[in-house]
Amino acid sequence: MNYDRPELLERLAAEYVLGVLRRRARARFERLCDEFPDALSARQRWEDRLLPLSLALAPVTPGADRWPRIQRAVDSMSDSGAAPTARSALRRWWPLALAASLIAAAVLIGKLTFWSEPVWQPMAVLAPANAAPLWRLERSADAARINIRTLGPVTLKLTQSYELWVLPSGGGNPVSLGLLPRQGSLERHLTPAQRTLLLAARQVAVSVEPASGSPTGLPTGPVIIVAPIARAT
Amino acid sequence: MATVPDGSELDSLLRRCARRDAAALQTLYARVAPQLLGILVRLLGTRTAAEDALQDAFIRIWQQAGQFDRSKGRAMAWMVAIARNRAIDLQRASRTTVLLDAAELAGAEQLQVDGPADNLEFGATHDALRRCLEILSTAQRQCLLLAYQRGLTQERIALLIGQPLGTIKSWIRRGLESLKACMGS
Repeated sequence: MNYDRPELLERLAAEYVLGVLRRRARARFERLCDEFPDALSARQRWEDRLLPLSLALAPVTPGADRWPRIQRAVDSMSDSGAAPTARSALRRWWPLALAASLIAAAVLIGKLTFWSEPVWQPMAVLAPANAAPLWRLERSADAARINIRTLGPVTLKLTQSYELWVLPSGGGNPVSLGLLPRQGSLERHLTPAQRTLLLAARQVAVSVEPASGSPTGLPTGPVIIVAPIARAT
Repeated sequence: MATVPDGSELDSLLRRCARRDAAALQTLYARVAPQLLGILVRLLGTRTAAEDALQDAFIRIWQQAGQFDRSKGRAMAWMVAIARNRAIDLQRASRTTVLLDAAELAGAEQLQVDGPADNLEFGATHDALRRCLEILSTAQRQCLLLAYQRGLTQERIALLIGQPLGTIKSWIRRGLESLKACMGS
């Protein structure tokens, strides 16, 4: 698409803010906003235009337990010394998941050599211990984008989700790369901070979380996969 | 009609959040959480999902407060966008087919009966948008509101209204063009 056309940017911005772009188109437009100030300005103008439609909706008072949960999450982010419970789960699963994932990654990298699409580089294959791979991860050369493709049926309760984490190479808390799709593929734009972490990291992990993702910003459910990141070639 | 918090107060609270002042986040929560939850409940359909999204949104507001640039937009618009985008991402991640299930159909029928365009409340500052919505055809207005306030995809709107997808896309596109032309800038 030719994004230099102002009318196209305007239409994409309007449809993005309205919420009718499909997932991949949404991700592409978010990337565009990072790269082109005109796209970001068009988006912000539409956010302003349509804001009254949001403010017209009657408020709903949150449950009393919500603020304490947010406070705890914020506190845990500030407290770098606190080791979250989920990290001990990471340590338990690590050896088994690593072995399975190394094999899967080796197979994947062999196959990818023959692929014709040059934009994406293989990054990891996510397979639970002793189970078939569920997702393939690829990244753009500059690690600004990742592409997640489901490889087989992903079964999970509707109230749960799988969340992808990057494990910082120098230790420290896992950082979320978002929820994993149950089917099809999903392209996601990374923030500069996520990108820097990913380029240096050697492993990613997957945990089971509530449907909306981890409520704390750290893994809260069982970690089912820890997978090595393939080095860029 | 909700009381929209004072913009300069929100700017100041976000600046304090950027400096890692947790008390500012708590005040911000008290000011805007009910409004954001009202938006999320309509988008996600259930209170639990909406409260989970609200929680995510506030954690993101805390994490990204340093990125808020007052010169580029209003604080409320910035926070509403964070909450809406979280809800839309959750919706898109969990609803991968365009088929309506029984529960959604029941909800959709209810929406149709309610006529969402007739239930809106606007304050004086929202007159421009209200006037401009009035110039749209009923079909265009209904499509825009179902998408924006209820978070329905174009495919779901097509099924709900009983029109081809191409027609819905065209109504939405023309509706947005008319809205922009009417509101100026």
